[in-house]
Amino acid sequence: MNLHIFDIFPIILFFISFFGLITTNNTMKSIVFIMLMQTAVIMFWVGVGARFGAQPPIIGDIAYLENPDAIADPLPQALMLTAIIIGIAVTAINITMLNALFRKYKTMNWQALQNLSSTEVEEDA
Amino acid sequence: MPSHILIFFVIIPIIIAVFVYVFAGLKSARLIAVIAQSAFLVMALFMLIASRTNEITISVGGYEGFLGIILRADNLAAIFIFLTVFIFLGLVIYNLRSEYNHTDRLYWFLLFILEGTLIGLFLTRDFFNIFVLMEVSTVVVVILLMHDRKRRNLFAGMTFIMVNIVVMQFYLFGLGYLYMVTGVMDMEAAAYVIAHMDTTELALPYALIMTSIAAKCSLLPLLTWLPKVNALTGSRFTIAALMSGLHIKSGVYLFIRFQDVFGGMASEFFLCIGIITAIAGIILALSQKDIRLLLAYSTVAQVGLIIAGLSLNDEYSRIGSVYHVVNHGLIKVALFLGAGMISYLYKTKDITKIRGLLRVSKPVAIANILAVLGITGATFFGSSISKYFMISGVTGALEWVFIFINFGTILVFVRYSAIFFGRPKGAVLAPDWCRESVVLCLGISCFALGVQPAINFLLNQQVELSFWGYLEKNIVFVISVVAAYLVYKFILVKRDFLRPLRRFDLSFKTMCVSIGAFFGVLLVVLKVG
Repeated sequence: MNLHIFDIFPIILFFISFFGLITTNNTMKSIVFIMLMQTAVIMFWVGVGARFGAQPPIIGDIAYLENPDAIADPLPQALMLTAIIIGIAVTAINITMLNALFRKYKTMNWQALQNLSSTEVEEDA
Repeated sequence: MPSHILIFFVIIPIIIAVFVYVFAGLKSARLIAVIAQSAFLVMALFMLIASRTNEITISVGGYEGFLGIILRADNLAAIFIFLTVFIFLGLVIYNLRSEYNHTDRLYWFLLFILEGTLIGLFLTRDFFNIFVLMEVSTVVVVILLMHDRKRRNLFAGMTFIMVNIVVMQFYLFGLGYLYMVTGVMDMEAAAYVIAHMDTTELALPYALIMTSIAAKCSLLPLLTWLPKVNALTGSRFTIAALMSGLHIKSGVYLFIRFQDVFGGMASEFFLCIGIITAIAGIILALSQKDIRLLLAYSTVAQVGLIIAGLSLNDEYSRIGSVYHVVNHGLIKVALFLGAGMISYLYKTKDITKIRGLLRVSKPVAIANILAVLGITGATFFGSSISKYFMISGVTGALEWVFIFINFGTILVFVRYSAIFFGRPKGAVLAPDWCRESVVLCLGISCFALGVQPAINFLLNQQVELSFWGYLEKNIVFVISVVAAYLVYKFILVKRDFLRPLRRFDLSFKTMCVSIGAFFGVLLVVLKVG
C-alpha cells in the first residue's frame, strides 16, 4: 500500500495534535487539540476516497460506471458527514462542562481543577 | 424467526424510552415500561433459541452483498442481547418503587436509550455503525453519571468523556486505514479480505483500533477510568452496576469480534496484558475501603482474566471466557445493586464500617453470598464452570498464573465477606422489598448458571466436564479459600500495607500518555513479531 500526500499529512497532524494533548495544561487547549485530531481523521478519510484525476461521484456519464477508478469513492465522504456531526456534538458537551467548571472554580488548569474537585469530593464523602 | 425482527430489537427500547418520557405524569407509566421490558425479554429468549440453529441476518436498505449495513444475530450476539435485556429488566424493577420526580423522567429515558444502543452495538456488523453507537452510548452514560445536578462531579465526568473521545479518534483513524487497505466496511467481508492478504499492512490499523478497544475494556494501563466513574459522587449504584456489569462487556464483545476479523493477531500480547491487568486489579481492589471502588477494581481484574482467556487460542478457553462474561455480568450487577442497598441501609460506603448484613437484610445478604461464591468460582456455580474451561486451555506455569489470579479474587471477596458477620453499628434503615427481591433473583441466577442444561443452552454446545478434572479444580478452590482466609486474617487485617495504593489515580494527561504508550508498544510488538 503506497501512501500519498493526502494520507501522510493527516497522519502527521493527528500525532502532533495528540502530542499537544499530552503536553498542554490548559483544558480549553485540550479540547482544541481533540478537535484537531478529529479534523486530521476527517481529512484522512476524505483522502482515502479521493484519487488523482478522479471525477466527483455524480452519475451523469455512464463511462464512469464502467471504470470505477475514474470516480472518487463517495462512501468516506458520506460517513464523514456523520463523524463531523458527532464531533460537533461531543465538543459542545465538552465546552458546556468546561464552562460550568470554569464558573465554579475560576480556572482552566488541569491540575488545579483536579485538586479542587478531589478536595470537594473528600468533603462530600 | 423473520429477519426484520432485528430492527425491532433496536427500536423497541427507544419506543419504551419515548413512552416513559412523554407519559411521565402517568402513575402506571413505569409499570407499563416494566411489562414491555418483560415482553422484550421473551423476544430476546426466542431470538436466542432461533440463533442456535440459524444466524438471523438483515441488510438494512435491502442492498445485496456487503453494501448495506448488516445486522446479524449469531449465537454470541444473541447471548449478549439476552444478557442486556435481562440486566435492564432487573434495573428497571429495582428502580420501580423509588421516589419519582421530574429528573427521573430523563433518567428512565436515557436508560432505555442506552439499552437500544448496546443492542445495536451487539447486532451490527458495520464498522462505522459501531463507532456511532459507541459515541452515542458514551454520551448517554456521561449524562446518566451527571444526573444528580446537586452532587455531580463535573470534572471526573469531563475527564471520562474526553478520554473516550480521544480513544474513539484512534478507532476512527484505524477504521479509515482499514477501509483503505480492505475496501470494505463489513466485518465478515473484512475478515475474508484480511485472510487473503499480507498482514504487515494491517499493523497500523490494528494497533489503532485495538488501542481504543483496550481502553474501552479498561485494560492496563487505563484501568482506573471504570473505578473512577463507578465511584462518582452523585451517580447511582444502578449506573455503576450497568457500567461494571454490561457497558464494559461491550468492549469485550468488540475485542472478540475484532480478534476474529484480524485472525487473532497479537494474542500473546493481549494474554500478557490481560494477566497483568487482572493482577493489578486485584491488588488495587484489596487496597480499597469504598465498596464501589472495591467492586469496580474487581471488575477490572475479571475483565483482564476474560481477555487473557480469549487470547489463549484454545476453543475451550474461548467458550469458558464467553460464559464468564455472562456469569460476571450477572454477578457484578447483583453485587452492585446489593451494595447500593447496603450503602442506603448503613448510610456509608466504607466497607470497614459495614457489619452484620445477615441480621439487617437476609435476602440481600443471601444474594451477596451467592454472588460472592459465584465470582470466586465455588463448586456448582456458573463461574466455576467458566473458570474450569478457561484453565483447561493452559498448561504449566500459565496454569499456576490463572490459579493465582483466582486466589487473588478469593482474597478480595474474603475481605468483602466481613460485611455479613458481626453486629451492625448504629441505627440501620429498613430495606425495600422490591429491591430485595431483584437482588435475590440476580443472586439466584448466578447459581442457576452452574446447571448443566443452562450451560448447554446458552453456549449451544454439548460441553463435557471431566469428573476428575472438575474435582481437581474444586480441591484447588478449597485450598485457595483456606489460604486466602489465612492471608486475610494474619496479614491483611494486621497490616494495611496496601493503603498508599488507595489514592492511586491517573490524571487526564497521564491517561493520554498511557493511550499513546499502549499504541506504541502494540505497534512495536506487531512490527517485531
